[in-house]
Amino acid sequence: MAVIAHPRMPRTFVLAAGTLLLLVLLFAVKDARAIPAFNRQTGQNCVACHAGGQFPDLTPYGRLFKLTGYTIGERALPLAAMAVMSYNRTRNTASPDPAFDRAATFPKDGNAIFQTASVFLGGRITDNLGAFVQYTYNNYDAQSPSDSRWVGHSSSDNLDVRYADRFIAPGRDLIVGATMNNNPSVQDPWNSAPAWGFNVVPGSSGPAATPLLAGGLAQNVAGFGGYAYWNRTVYAELSAYRTANGLFSFMSQGFNVGRGDMQIVKGSNPYWRLALTHEWGPHSAMVGTFGLAAKVYPDPTDPSGPTNRFRDTGLDGQYQFLLDPHAVTVTASYIHEKIDYADSLANQPAPLDPDGTLGLPLTNASDTLRMFRAKASYVYRAKYGGSLSFFDVRGSTNSALQTSAPDPENPGALVDGSESVTGNLTGNPATRGWTAEAFWTPVQYLRLGVEYTMFNRFNGAANNYDGFGRNAKDNNTLFVYLWGAF
Amino acid sequence: MKRTSIALALALSGLIAGCATPERSRALNNPSVSASTMARQVCSNCHGIDGNSVSPNFPRLAAQQPAYVVEQLTGFRTHHRSDPAGFEYMWGLSRHLTDEQIKGLAEYFSAQAPAPNPSHDAALAQRGREVFEHGVPGKSIPPCASCHGERGQGNAAFPRLAGQHADYVEKQLLVFQRTDQRPEGAVMKTVAHLLTRDNMRAVAEYVQGMPGR
Repeated sequence: MAVIAHPRMPRTFVLAAGTLLLLVLLFAVKDARAIPAFNRQTGQNCVACHAGGQFPDLTPYGRLFKLTGYTIGERALPLAAMAVMSYNRTRNTASPDPAFDRAATFPKDGNAIFQTASVFLGGRITDNLGAFVQYTYNNYDAQSPSDSRWVGHSSSDNLDVRYADRFIAPGRDLIVGATMNNNPSVQDPWNSAPAWGFNVVPGSSGPAATPLLAGGLAQNVAGFGGYAYWNRTVYAELSAYRTANGLFSFMSQGFNVGRGDMQIVKGSNPYWRLALTHEWGPHSAMVGTFGLAAKVYPDPTDPSGPTNRFRDTGLDGQYQFLLDPHAVTVTASYIHEKIDYADSLANQPAPLDPDGTLGLPLTNASDTLRMFRAKASYVYRAKYGGSLSFFDVRGSTNSALQTSAPDPENPGALVDGSESVTGNLTGNPATRGWTAEAFWTPVQYLRLGVEYTMFNRFNGAANNYDGFGRNAKDNNTLFVYLWGAF
Repeated sequence: MKRTSIALALALSGLIAGCATPERSRALNNPSVSASTMARQVCSNCHGIDGNSVSPNFPRLAAQQPAYVVEQLTGFRTHHRSDPAGFEYMWGLSRHLTDEQIKGLAEYFSAQAPAPNPSHDAALAQRGREVFEHGVPGKSIPPCASCHGERGQGNAAFPRLAGQHADYVEKQLLVFQRTDQRPEGAVMKTVAHLLTRDNMRAVAEYVQGMPGR
């Protein structure tokens, strides 16, 4: 759902920019691939590393290219660029609340916008050292505190620098490596990993509340780890993440309270990964498990004192069928999260009920959050494709999440209710829905896609989740995008 | 503290850069990297370390005729072979291989033992055997065995077919029949010209299951 605000960009400007992007991509770029820096390095077409030639799904060869440190090939111009333009429309953008500001809540709705642009620095540095570094300009980075207009910002996006070696002889094959990255699971080669499987097009829709491991620390942390892949059968990795500040601040997206997603972690926080893989005929499969234990300061502006403790444990799997002209990738992932809150947040009066007059329970000392996601994609002739994904987030009810409540003195009325659309009447984070996507890739560095996301449940309820009578399906969103890379 | 970290990082980078390991390199433009290193570190990703690829997207190279491998790699390097499977994967990888490396790769894979690759449809394979051994007399299509050998083992520039993935064989027959993307195999254009799709499927199914040693 696109319940965020944006600056109203002149439509003519966006159209002009879009046309220019199309022209540049179609005519000026003769030999471009995604990410084209890797293409220049190996000289291969997208389909070698990406299933059906489409981001982000990797082929078995693409996974080995990544695990061997992006070092196959020859050193080449390591630069590539990507831009995304998009348009979205939400099913219902109205609210009975007289104070509701439609333009601020649904700023992108009905407008063609320039979403993000990225520069990639990628490829082989030495025989053993390689990198995938994305630097992104996000036109919708954060809202200005003074007039709530969106402000653009350029910063480090996904970053993965690795050192790898491979000891291979008949009957034995061992890849070992070290990774430095800034998003737990971005170093993973499978697309069931939280960083790569879902909502990969900037600006697309999905569940609002997700476990910390599913992007909560992305570009907030600096991680260092080691991994091994034995006989293309067993993969194991252990990493530790710390806040990306000081010497490591180049890996961070920068500190901005307005963006609301900055996290400061305490000390080193372990991340682990174990996977079993098998290939037979045109098929390949993986089953795995992963996890993260993290201590996060409740207030990023004051990183001191007790922390919220997150324990995320995941199970995932992937199946792939690749036989020209067909490419099928199916992924599934389940993450269980337990959060133990710092004393300052646990057993406190609900924010909506500071003096206890509404009779709301105290906030929880701990919460659980469970997220299941599955996605099936199909690509034909590396040109036409689609995907269907399902997401289901469930969790414990916590009065800390409640934005409105029944008024005990006035039956049928609500107290506060300052947040229609984004609000939560039940205090439960449950969100469930489907996303269907279809795309067309006329040339391999250009993709036009359309997504429709349907919500069956949002913020804990199917109907009247915000206390203003808004139903989950009112958030159903149509999303159209044009993606280009060169 | 900061200065120490930077010094440490620089020292580490120097160490990493200095620790080049040509015997385990994945460079494709370095004449000093041996063919066997290349075969293991790069080619094995798709074709298997012993040339017995798992995925039918990639041809098996075990026991392949060295002359044929040399011809194909040279064809990729010069862009003479331009079928999609060739240019999408192989043009880039082969662009800076030396003649010496190409010869070494051919020797490496031709020396590998072919693993069995059983066919799955016995009736189809039986029809394919007819074509392989006797051709299609009514259409003047010669038997495959006359050039590729009775056991499908190949002969110099005529590739080994025994144990080759059926999907790959069928797709290449279509390339020969419908395009001029493999000029080095022009003789196959004449042969494949009158083959029906069923003939292709059958003969491909048959050769996949041939033990061929």
